[in-house]
Amino acid sequence: MTWLWLALVGGIVGLDATSFPQAMLSRPLVAGALAGLAFHRPLEGMLVGAVIEIFDLPNLPVGAARYPDSGTATVAGVGALGFAGLPEMHAGAFLLAVVFSLLWEYVTGLSTVFERRLNERLVLPKHDPQRMTDRSVEALHLLSTTLDFVRAAVIVMVGVFIGANLLPAIVHDWHGPLMLSSGSIAVTAAMMLAGAIGLFGGLRERRTLFLAGAVCGSILLLLT
Amino acid sequence: MKDTIGAGVRFRVFLRSFAIQGSWNYRTLLGTGFGFSLLPALRVIYAGRPEALQDAVRRHTSLFNCHPYLAGIALGAVARLESEGESPEVVSRFKGALRSALGSLGDRMVWAGLRPCCLLLALALLLLGAPWWLSLVVFLLVYNTAHITLRWWSLRTGWDAGKQVAQRLRESNLERFHEGFAHAGAFLLGLILPLVAVGALTGDRLPPPWVLGGAVAAVVGLKFGSAVRYPLMVALVIIASIGFLLRTTS
Repeated sequence: MTWLWLALVGGIVGLDATSFPQAMLSRPLVAGALAGLAFHRPLEGMLVGAVIEIFDLPNLPVGAARYPDSGTATVAGVGALGFAGLPEMHAGAFLLAVVFSLLWEYVTGLSTVFERRLNERLVLPKHDPQRMTDRSVEALHLLSTTLDFVRAAVIVMVGVFIGANLLPAIVHDWHGPLMLSSGSIAVTAAMMLAGAIGLFGGLRERRTLFLAGAVCGSILLLLT
Repeated sequence: MKDTIGAGVRFRVFLRSFAIQGSWNYRTLLGTGFGFSLLPALRVIYAGRPEALQDAVRRHTSLFNCHPYLAGIALGAVARLESEGESPEVVSRFKGALRSALGSLGDRMVWAGLRPCCLLLALALLLLGAPWWLSLVVFLLVYNTAHITLRWWSLRTGWDAGKQVAQRLRESNLERFHEGFAHAGAFLLGLILPLVAVGALTGDRLPPPWVLGGAVAAVVGLKFGSAVRYPLMVALVIIASIGFLLRTTS
């Protein structure tokens, strides 16, 4: 049932990223929580997704740009973490799940490129533009969309399979101080997050609002 | 126009526009999806003229690209031009003229504005202690309300304005949304940064040296922007490997 859920979530997340309907179910934050539900640990999944999300903020799907497919990679990473069977929020496992997801992004990104090439090379030439009909366009479109779902589900399953076998063994042999794990995630995420200011016009343009936010954040931190 | 293409057809085009990128490829980009989304309107416009319909299908499955949420503008306007009997050359030139404008406008407004703002809002809620499901629901609800509204507005604007769509776009002043998102995004980014730096992502309160490290890292991030992504990924892999080295040396 857990594998089925992860495959389904992976397929939906992969489909949502580009093909249908871009409702942002494919964001790592959402994908991580949905994958975490399979292990009754949605918060942990969402937090893994939050780290991936921060790393992914500057990646914009502009034009024909090629970019890592972070949603499906997050599902794979959270799936691997869940199958590791460690206590919730185990800092070492958390770090390794994040690293695994960040690396798996490139495999999932490549699978997207492959699928787009498949659309181009296998499907389109069968339909000579001069013989393209309304029915064939609908069939082609449906086929491509279905292929995208299958691609995402398969790549997630492969990722979970590899991660679920690697992660428990790696975590067992991992003897780094747990503070190193939490601290490194905090430091790298802070750097990535600050780097995302470029999305909003850069620090020079938005200095006042950015600093106002930082002051508010610090006050809230003291209050909570 | 309104007599021939009714609300039902518009709604079908609207629904299909959600799948406009379903057959995205490097040769026609979202061209095939454009034809797929436009089909309900083309079938009405060319009812009883199968040759003309197939000709229109071939024309509208050729190379096309723009932001998927604003594709409705092109879909609506093209449907209107087709129904008014404009020549294929005019329609083709019109589509070509819309492509880059709709692409850059949507990329800046949605991908670099609405989306990161909504994500940062959800992250802020999560890191401030809101239940995970609340952050999730707020994100999906806020984002998709804007998303669906924008798609519907796009289609309606294209449909109503036809050839005058460029002027209608200028009048709508969508740039002001981009500016608003930029302001909100910068504030939210600043708000979240201290929470991340103290270890909220892993549910910890890190000791002062780590927090100081986070503050220094933020300054470095502000200076170098997203260029830090790959070095940071390498750093995380190295840090993850340190645990094994410690085992070997101990």
